[in-house]
Amino acid sequence: MTLHAFQIWLIAAINHYSPVKGIMRSAWGWPIAESLHFLGLCLLIGAIGTFDLRLLGIARRVPIAAMHRLVPVGLLGFAINITTGLMFLLTEPDQYIYNVSFHWKLLFLAIAGTNASLFYLTSYRQVFGASPALDAPRRAKVIAAVSLCAWIAVIVCGRMLTFFRPGPCIGEATVLLTCEPD
Amino acid sequence: MNFDPFFIWLESTALSQWIVGDPSILAFPGILALHAIGMGFAAGLGAVLDLRILGVARGVPIGEFRRFLPVLWAGFWLNAVSGVLLLIGYPTKALTNPLFYVKLLLIAVAMTLLVRLDRRIRAGDADNPITMRALRRLAITSLICWGGAIFAGRLLAYTYSRLTAIE
Repeated sequence: MTLHAFQIWLIAAINHYSPVKGIMRSAWGWPIAESLHFLGLCLLIGAIGTFDLRLLGIARRVPIAAMHRLVPVGLLGFAINITTGLMFLLTEPDQYIYNVSFHWKLLFLAIAGTNASLFYLTSYRQVFGASPALDAPRRAKVIAAVSLCAWIAVIVCGRMLTFFRPGPCIGEATVLLTCEPD
Repeated sequence: MNFDPFFIWLESTALSQWIVGDPSILAFPGILALHAIGMGFAAGLGAVLDLRILGVARGVPIGEFRRFLPVLWAGFWLNAVSGVLLLIGYPTKALTNPLFYVKLLLIAVAMTLLVRLDRRIRAGDADNPITMRALRRLAITSLICWGGAIFAGRLLAYTYSRLTAIE
């Protein structure tokens, strides 16, 4: 199956299944889901962003392990946004699956996720071990900087979605479809 | 009072027409993106400070958490500037919508509470159980204001009655 065929199949499958269309197409369904999506964004940036800034050296006197207790707040924001994000996707799949800004958003989400796992894989002992350093190791600082950039890129791509709505295809062939085929 | 002549004047300025009409993604879409980033840092850090005061991540000394506040202020000023640009782009849309004033009021209250919280934290109120109770009340109010401001801001796109004064 080519990527294009996969996109077409995915949209058909979502349109066939689509459990949330009713709520999302009610008068305030979509606007409230969007507001919650913004709320989740704020929790995520507020918690993960401050943790990243701590790794980069702000508020050095706070133990990194103590700062890490903010991460569940960020995960709550992320959970809110995965839920509301899926609700958008399951209601208007073609507006996302064919949207180039959505493709970039997924890429930056993947970078943010891989980067976060790298943090735990490479820096756990130095940061949370028996004698943790107050200054994060250089590796962890690079990861923190990548995290901040990746999440900001996710926000930018998310905000740009509406300006990259797919139009009808006119004989272009990119890796992924970024237009509505007939 | 009829503000239409003012709206029409503002909407016909070169800046307003560039913001709304320029096809570059650095114009309207770029300003919106900056506004979303600023929101994340301003409302996000504001809410997380409130949550810290309310008992989340107790190991982080509240007095030390103040060191993140310059980032909150940077987000606030980014949004003041990007917000004014968006307002110049669509003055009628925002200023004829009562919800816009609710949003501004909520942000004004949240920022006033932030300044008061900061002043009390510097005075050592977080170290005393009695003054800490007052701090918690301020934090709850602040949290409600940030949440309300986020909702009000997003719902502006669904509640306006007029887009532009120029036909």
